[in-house]
Amino acid sequence: MARPHIEPFVDRDVPFRKMTLPGFPKGMQYKMLSLDTDDGACTMTVLFEPGYKQPPGMSYSEYELFIMSGSITIGEKVWGPGSYVFVPAGVAIEALSSPRGATGLIFYNYGEPSFVESDSDHKHAERNRLAMVNAYENMHWTSTNFFPATAPGCMVKVLRFDPRTHGFTFLYCMTPNFWQDNISYHDCCEEAYHIWGSSWMMQFGDLPTGGYFWRTPYINHGAFASKLGILGLGRTDTQLYNHFHFNPWTNIEENQERAASRLIHRNPELYKWVNSHGHNHPIDFEFDHGHAHGDMAHHHGDGVVEHKHKKKKRSRR
Amino acid sequence: MKAIPHKRSREVEDWLRKEEVEQRKRYRKIVAEQEALSPKRDKWIAQFLQRIQTRGVHTHYDQMRKVRPEEIPVKPKRKFRVVF
Repeated sequence: MARPHIEPFVDRDVPFRKMTLPGFPKGMQYKMLSLDTDDGACTMTVLFEPGYKQPPGMSYSEYELFIMSGSITIGEKVWGPGSYVFVPAGVAIEALSSPRGATGLIFYNYGEPSFVESDSDHKHAERNRLAMVNAYENMHWTSTNFFPATAPGCMVKVLRFDPRTHGFTFLYCMTPNFWQDNISYHDCCEEAYHIWGSSWMMQFGDLPTGGYFWRTPYINHGAFASKLGILGLGRTDTQLYNHFHFNPWTNIEENQERAASRLIHRNPELYKWVNSHGHNHPIDFEFDHGHAHGDMAHHHGDGVVEHKHKKKKRSRR
Repeated sequence: MKAIPHKRSREVEDWLRKEEVEQRKRYRKIVAEQEALSPKRDKWIAQFLQRIQTRGVHTHYDQMRKVRPEEIPVKPKRKFRVVF
């Protein structure tokens, strides 16, 4: 994934710009938070000007929209602050408008922002994955269900969980006087935006309201603290596992090495199997597309890593 | 299906190029700001290494353990980076 490590970045320091990409109606403005320079995937703060109107339509990439202030109307339903919408690629949503304006966060996860006017789904659309919820009004805070877990006082509302990648999108909060004295890194990319409040990390200092990061795997972060508490929105691309430690000076290679070494202890049988000849193309019987012989980067255990084959269709028995 | 294959228009390619240039500027600014934070960060690290010996280091949720003095890591000679 070709997004650089962007941390920390505070979007309050930059102005909104008009969205000029083809297909998008007038009245949408954005601030770019991070961009994948290969596939155009990106995360942006967006502003819908009062009176914004968008006809029914779809995007070529799946996207997620979170409303921070104001409201939008999709079809007949009004979605206010705390509303979260996950729209799979090719799913046409009803007309969207914002009579009084709104601000939000938008995540185009696997391609550049696109909007194609359409009142019907693309033939490859997976409408069953469409999800909409008002997370402020209709969801409860829970403790993080990771093991090992973050310290008490950090809570989440899981907005979306991808059963295949284990990537997830979540609201999170830290209570006033939250502290966690360790250093963490993950095997996944992680991004977050502070909707409200400031927190502190030993590497990067304070991250205030409007603060954002896109953190690539194996980067040390922590210790953590928040004097008055925070509310944020986070997202990972695959499973978030907390590799905790207390050495402030380790680098990415050392962290990666340690994570791999820990895998031997955590999943010894799987580690052995995957590293045996011929087992580098595992196929998931639950999924028809995107298996290891298809569009996912994989290797043959021959040192030539990260390549793809043309997608092959699996035959159904 | 995470994304539907499609052809990008020239306008989209131009937009992406401009955003990439902007992102490079943002990245350089972040690196410079984080470099300037080094003296403060060194103090924070020293305080952290003290705290984990007295109050302890978090291992899971509310579980903590005190780190023994001989376990405290020594700063390596190589350049220390926090942005990669």
